Amino acid sequence: MEVRKATRQDLKRHNRLSLLRAVYYGLADNRAALAVATGLTKPTVSELAAELIAEGFLVEGGIGGSTEMGGKPPRLLNFVSDARQVIGVSVDGLEVRAILVNLKGQSVAEHTAPLDGKTGAEAVTILIETINGLVAQLDAPLLAVSVGVPGVVDSEAGIVKRSPLLAWYDLALADTLFAQYDCPAYIANNTELAALGQVARGNADTREDHNRVTLLINGTVEVGVTVQGAVYHRGGDIGAMRYLPHGRTDAIPLADVLGWRAVEYRAQELRRDYPNTRLPATGLTYLHIRHAAGLKDPAAELLLDELAAVLSIAVVWSIALLRPHTIVLAGQVADLGDLLIARLRYHAAERLSIDDIAAVHFTLASGLNLSARGAVVMAVHNELEIL
Amino acid sequence: MSFKRPTLGVITNFQHGVFQRAVIDGIRQIADLHSFDVLVDSIAEDGAPTRPVSLDIMALGGLAVISNAIPDDQIRGYQASGVPLALISHQIPGTTIPAVVTDNGQGMARLMRHLVGECGRRRIVFIRGLADQTDAHEREVGFQREIMRYMLDLPPEFMIDGDFSPETAAQSMRALLNQRQDFDAVLAADYLMGIAALDVLTQAGVNVPGAVCVAGYGDGSESESRGLTTVAADVIEQGRRGARQLMGQMRGLTMRGVTVLSTHLIPRQTTVAQ
Repeated sequence: MEVRKATRQDLKRHNRLSLLRAVYYGLADNRAALAVATGLTKPTVSELAAELIAEGFLVEGGIGGSTEMGGKPPRLLNFVSDARQVIGVSVDGLEVRAILVNLKGQSVAEHTAPLDGKTGAEAVTILIETINGLVAQLDAPLLAVSVGVPGVVDSEAGIVKRSPLLAWYDLALADTLFAQYDCPAYIANNTELAALGQVARGNADTREDHNRVTLLINGTVEVGVTVQGAVYHRGGDIGAMRYLPHGRTDAIPLADVLGWRAVEYRAQELRRDYPNTRLPATGLTYLHIRHAAGLKDPAAELLLDELAAVLSIAVVWSIALLRPHTIVLAGQVADLGDLLIARLRYHAAERLSIDDIAAVHFTLASGLNLSARGAVVMAVHNELEIL
Repeated sequence: MSFKRPTLGVITNFQHGVFQRAVIDGIRQIADLHSFDVLVDSIAEDGAPTRPVSLDIMALGGLAVISNAIPDDQIRGYQASGVPLALISHQIPGTTIPAVVTDNGQGMARLMRHLVGECGRRRIVFIRGLADQTDAHEREVGFQREIMRYMLDLPPEFMIDGDFSPETAAQSMRALLNQRQDFDAVLAADYLMGIAALDVLTQAGVNVPGAVCVAGYGDGSESESRGLTTVAADVIEQGRRGARQLMGQMRGLTMRGVTVLSTHLIPRQTTVAQ
């Protein structure tokens, strides 16, 4: 691997970000303290602080206490959360969800649009028109646009390698977004971002808890992994992985059972077999399935059990290979609640020992914006090394 | 007709309604920032029959339509003519017209978490809004989703009509009280109907919140003065967001989808004993 020499610009960027980080995380709040905290000389701190103030990232506000030597009280420097805004986006098989946040990750606005079954170039257009919905709401310069997509993504090159759900293949999406918005653009796999978003939100209690597998079930099935708090960047869409259902001779993809359209279709079949079922003919949601199953509706119990049985394949492999402390079931499927977890444990125990299953903590993450939030974290971290 | 200054149009069914007034305020704030005028066409003032739109649509810089004030087909016609559009508090399925809505589902979830999780209520009466309004529909669907989430029982007679009218809500509440009293909370699709229910319950000697908690969607000075628990989004912000959608389109941004505003809980005496 070729090692590139650091340039003066690299060094300056490093120093600027050190300074910004020190103020953001409360390590220092004035120029003298910043020099101590960052190891930079006082003239360098003054020069960089002046630049950051001019660009709106820092603001002078208030006077600090006098030094022990009785010196002149310092002018305090504060981080400006609203200096820039970031758009984070998640695209799944059904819709585009975009959020506009400030530099502290606080939500300013949300914008969504359905994909209406569109794929390929039409889906790219919908993505851009959804992002435009938030560009119209900007209160500050746009720092970056960051997008999570289902499938295999080369984040460094900014290319969607393979997203069957969206029919995006070798799509230079980051370049398209950069050309559109004239700001840095990032892309990554949805579930990787969901995992990143959870780690950044500090959901984990311990370092051990940071070993987690996130299974995101929307239009397809995706896996994201964090090891000791760091995101493993090779997660991706496993919806195309085939398995052999009991009593069948042909293998079918996981997404053909777990994807929402497949769930709706299966519910329709079950309504024919169980005419008195509580599963509604229209407007079915995971909550309907959970509610009906909770009331011992046989069709709903069967549907939930079938979903858990297939999902347990991914769960079992995750446990066997990675021994995670936590498995997060993310997406609307989380509405199935504890009933899903109970059935998952049951089916997983058919393939692994009960001790192996018992060692894993299952949680649900129903937040629809999990991936979009992760996208924001990635962009802000790459640009400013904060959040 | 042409205007001296660039102008945004607003079509509403009642410009002096609490909600509509706040939305229009928000639109005016953004219009002022961009030196635009705002023309409001209130087509069904104070219960009067709806009259045709009088705005010269083609002379406008952009047009905001509040809460299903005119038929969807008419709005589709405006879209075909190329005028920038923004829908406030409603959407038209199958079109790309951008909209600003509050997250009714999230609001109902927040209210139900309060009533069930924090107040321990399990037999909840719901007062519906107008059947043909998007907000009313979404709040009702949101309520029923939460009923399922908490595995609660919902007898059909616990869904009562209110039509976003305090009089209708009071009438329905009285009828229910005469029929049965085995409920422990009332949740209204808007706060004015919630206040009407509160009045009926208090007059009937029901202890609020001891025996029955009462809450409503949306917030205003009336709910604050009556101590009604609510969830609310910033309605003025809804207007501002809509105006920004129009400004964005006027500077060439092609957009689709909905901008969604979150709500927050405002717990007061009707659910929290003082």
